[in-house]
Amino acid sequence: MSNERYRSHLERVLREGHFAVTCEIGPPKSADGEVVRKKARLIRGFVDAANITDCQTAIVRMSSIASGVLVQQEGVEAVIQMTCRDRNRIGIQADLLGAAALGLKNLLCLTGDHQKFGNHPEAKGVFDLDSIQLLDMVRRMRDEKKFQCGEEIKGKSVEFFLGAAANPFADPFEFRVQRLAKKVAAGAQFIQTQIVYNLERFRKFMEMAHDMGLTEKVYILAGITPPKSFGMARYMKYFVPGLDVPDEILKRLKDAKDKREEGIKIAVEIIEQVREIPGIAGVHIMAIEWEEAVPEIVKRAGLHPRPLAEEVKPVEVRPVPEAAPEIISEERPIEEVPEAPPKVEVPAEALKEIFSSLRSSMEALRDGINLLHEGLASLEKALLGGAPKGIEAVPELGAPPKVEERPPEEAPLVTPEEEEQARKVADLLSAAKAAREAGELEKASSIYKQVLELEAENEIAKSALAEIEKELLIEDLLKKAQQKLGEGDLDEAEAAFKKVLELSPQKSEAEKGLEKIAQLRAAHKEAEEEVKPEAPVKERLEAPEVADILVFPEVASEYRDISERAAGIPEDIYKEPGTAYIREVTVGEGEKAITIGGTNVLPFHLFEGEMKNPPHVAMEVLDVKPEDWPEALAKYFDDVFDDPGSWAKKCVEVYGAEAINIYLLGTDPNFLNLGPDHAAKVVEKVAKAVDVPLVIWGSGSPEKDVDILREVANVLGSKNVMIGPVVDANHRALGATAMGYGYSLIASSPIDVNLAKQLNILLENVGVPLDKIAMDPSVGALGYGLEYTYSVMERIRLAALYAQDEKLQVPFVINVGREVWKTKEAGLPSDEMLGEQEIRGIALEAITALALLLAGGDFLIMRHPKAIEVTKKVIKGLMAQ
Amino acid sequence: MIIAERKPLARILQMIAPFERVAIIGCRGCVAICSAGGDREVEILAAALRLARKRAGRPLQTIEETFVRQCDPEYLTPLESLKEKVEAVVSLACGVGVNLAADLYPDLKIYPGVDTSFYGANPSLGQWEEKCRGCGDCIIDMTGGLCPIARCAKNLLNGPCGGSQGGKCEIRPDVPCVWHLIYERLKKRGELEKLTQIWPAKDWTPAGHGGPRERVRPDLQFNNNKK
Amino acid sequence: MSGWKITILCCHYTNEAMAEDLADIPAKIEIKSFPCSGRIEVSDILKALEAEAEAVLVAGCEKGSCHNRSGSMRAEKRVEAARKILEEIGMEPERVQMAFIPRLDTGAFVAAAKKTFEKLLDILPKGETTS
Repeated sequence: MSNERYRSHLERVLREGHFAVTCEIGPPKSADGEVVRKKARLIRGFVDAANITDCQTAIVRMSSIASGVLVQQEGVEAVIQMTCRDRNRIGIQADLLGAAALGLKNLLCLTGDHQKFGNHPEAKGVFDLDSIQLLDMVRRMRDEKKFQCGEEIKGKSVEFFLGAAANPFADPFEFRVQRLAKKVAAGAQFIQTQIVYNLERFRKFMEMAHDMGLTEKVYILAGITPPKSFGMARYMKYFVPGLDVPDEILKRLKDAKDKREEGIKIAVEIIEQVREIPGIAGVHIMAIEWEEAVPEIVKRAGLHPRPLAEEVKPVEVRPVPEAAPEIISEERPIEEVPEAPPKVEVPAEALKEIFSSLRSSMEALRDGINLLHEGLASLEKALLGGAPKGIEAVPELGAPPKVEERPPEEAPLVTPEEEEQARKVADLLSAAKAAREAGELEKASSIYKQVLELEAENEIAKSALAEIEKELLIEDLLKKAQQKLGEGDLDEAEAAFKKVLELSPQKSEAEKGLEKIAQLRAAHKEAEEEVKPEAPVKERLEAPEVADILVFPEVASEYRDISERAAGIPEDIYKEPGTAYIREVTVGEGEKAITIGGTNVLPFHLFEGEMKNPPHVAMEVLDVKPEDWPEALAKYFDDVFDDPGSWAKKCVEVYGAEAINIYLLGTDPNFLNLGPDHAAKVVEKVAKAVDVPLVIWGSGSPEKDVDILREVANVLGSKNVMIGPVVDANHRALGATAMGYGYSLIASSPIDVNLAKQLNILLENVGVPLDKIAMDPSVGALGYGLEYTYSVMERIRLAALYAQDEKLQVPFVINVGREVWKTKEAGLPSDEMLGEQEIRGIALEAITALALLLAGGDFLIMRHPKAIEVTKKVIKGLMAQ
Repeated sequence: MIIAERKPLARILQMIAPFERVAIIGCRGCVAICSAGGDREVEILAAALRLARKRAGRPLQTIEETFVRQCDPEYLTPLESLKEKVEAVVSLACGVGVNLAADLYPDLKIYPGVDTSFYGANPSLGQWEEKCRGCGDCIIDMTGGLCPIARCAKNLLNGPCGGSQGGKCEIRPDVPCVWHLIYERLKKRGELEKLTQIWPAKDWTPAGHGGPRERVRPDLQFNNNKK
Repeated sequence: MSGWKITILCCHYTNEAMAEDLADIPAKIEIKSFPCSGRIEVSDILKALEAEAEAVLVAGCEKGSCHNRSGSMRAEKRVEAARKILEEIGMEPERVQMAFIPRLDTGAFVAAAKKTFEKLLDILPKGETTS
């Protein structure tokens, strides 16, 4: 039992000829000692000693010496590390005296990673000594009882078992063994090598060391790291200097379904191979931020149980005696820990997603382990009624216990059934946590409920469920509030938001919502004040009769069914319905909503198919007083030009508009460049004044429209309106806005079949469903490219109906009025040759509209009341077949 | 030679902000050779400062001069009369020159126009590399003439460390590992045994860690007529 | 006339232009000839700006045709250095332009001067000068 001949347990293990196992513990970037303790508990009994890194890669962490003390309190012997980067010879010697006094027994001497690689690259690196000088200094302190300066150490000096690092994979290769020899000469008694993946080079290195007789003088522990993922292995290969990861290992990881399992396998295989190399005295397992892999690797490599483990006793913590953990003893049911490879069950699926990125995976796994700990602890508490801490089982990820391997005469504290259940609970808990973090609250909630079925008193599940319920409630309330807000029910919305705030005082959505309600109320008041002197809507102006030039008799009355007319001809000769339908898009809410699209034939070919909805016509309202409208058009609206709300009202009430298009011309950066506030105000006024479906049409400036329409949406809330024009330059932003508020979009492309299709695909790619898209193919008025427009629209429609071109199966929105009324002819005064201005204008608009209806137009936007009347008449007639 | 580099103009403009008459004084020593503070740099700096100040609406008058050296008191004597003509001096000499002038002319407001960086060589035009750190205890007889104090990022004496890869330092891929170079050189010379000795901890006193360093030659002091 | 001044620093070989050739450009054009553009220093460029020029055009021979082999390439580096200094003191680096002109090609020379003037139109708000 006495190991007085040895300076440390590690030294004894090595000297007595056992194959040593050490591992590495990275202290936290905080003052949380529990992190270190937990890591120590995880590996207790599986290693002979654990290295505690000293601000590895120059990142500030809890000090190695302090962490080492914590680790030893948990019953694991520490190997403290000391670098030359952060302290000069004075600081180092002082700290080492302290470390010795605190009972630390092993010391690894390093030069240290350069500060450039850490989180304080601006720091002044000390490098007063290098690793070899450090070894030399400590050896003299220990053996000659002298400080570095030569002064005698009176009294007790340090008694470290001294180690150093060696990198067989750095250059120049031949000198690496020489340098190892220097370290041995300086005082190194054990060596921990850089991570070994390249066995060939490592064997060669060991051969050279052996030839130089070094393996007789020093214990060499091969560095082992289980690659946790393909990404980590690749990172080590390309970014960690001196780390040579062979392609074969990369490939294995890449192909592996379960990367962690493969990583552990690789580590075990390497251990088995290095064991065969003469002169290897042990392994140093560096499971970077994956300490929980260590027990598994040690077991699978057949290195468990550790020899002389009973010799290691936790260092008593005198100030807090009750915190002293139970001594690891043979009674501890270590053998119970199953030997089977971990079968990845429930948590694997959930965890797999989390493992997508290395960093987040480390975090998540650590959390998972903590959860397991907590789960097991609470289980034990429940089962055993507050059993002492010392019996806490070493958690195993998802490995089912093999009952038959347990020595039957042992009386375990936990029955296998109970353990099985504990495992299940732990698995479920981590799956639930993953689901919850992924935002799948319902799923998480159901998993937690399963936990409670297994174990009714599980505190974690209980509190998590309560939290989730609260979150769901908040979500629900917020949804409701937003909806009410959208509907304009400010009181209800306010009440809901306030409730949210009661539940979760910091919820920003609710705070914002309340703010918005306040704004809306203020705006509402303002609007009311403005509207009060209710602009007396002028009586309907009688438009001139256009019958002189446009003869539209009652089409319907003359109709004879085709079957009658084509009697005797087989139906399939004259009927060719399309193979698909144009999608239906609905705008507006309630009774007034209109639906466009829904046809499987060319326009009005009702004899061979169906048009579920007739084409519709919207009237146009501008956000500013129009400057260039000819008198023939302006006279119908000049009394309401100043107020878009009254204007829209007049359109609906006087001229029977079934929808309104608000054209935000004033926001055009090349015209008045009015801001989003203006647009939002206009839209709000119109939305208040009328209840017909709304189309909101920006100025056509891609960047500006994004701002404008976002603000409009902000004010309007989720209402079933149509917004546009969307072009490829702003499809992402407007697509997102539309999706967010449930709007449909006008995809505007420059008169080209392929571009139209492309834009629909782009919108679909950002997530806008096709039944929320209408196409504006860009149109020309009569005499201004009408035939070209016609031809492109016709080709789009033919492709949609007869060539299964799915992306084009959306309805057309056609802005007729804007195109017609900006033409020169519409504005020229009445004269003999061109006739009366107004009749001319009406004819231009109506003819353009009819032509584009025949080309496939589903939703027309028009201006002149008479032209609209004519157009509707024709639609009615054609639909009445 | 001593390598220096002009400070950012904004920084210099800030130093001289209160003044309307400033002398820009170069040095024909090291800083002229490394193109940081010779005649040409004085002219450019003066023009740039004047231009900047003119645009700022506070025109600046400059006197431009370049001394033979600024690290010897006798070459600094014109500063005495400059005191009358300008309110401040921007010196493009290395830190040595600025300090000496500040020692000798306590009334003169003198400001550094360059950052003094290292002792370097000029392996090719327009490029300077650090080769010495002035540590006061030259050991390059043992290292094939290559200095690990100046040229190793961790100034190791028992290198190379584990970050030496393919002859390069891990600190930056364009930096050669000086210990790799030392190894190759001594190997060629058959002097590798020099590297198998453990190099004891270095005495850093001569490197300046014992306070400002001085050198004295009594035989020369005898003829001293300075001061 | 804009009232702006543009100083052209050029090599003897690049310019034969007369005042009337440059009359189209609504700015005062000042031409300073050097034996070779390689002789033009950073300080010459800065001093021209100091002397009220809004922009400086450095004109050297086409690459490869410099009488002194690499003079115009040297000039190009000086232009870069001058631009850096301008940036440091908050002036638009585009105020200094470099042009490589075929020997005695008046057309190309005038075009380069025009281009310099156009650069000024980009960087100077109307009517503003440094003075």
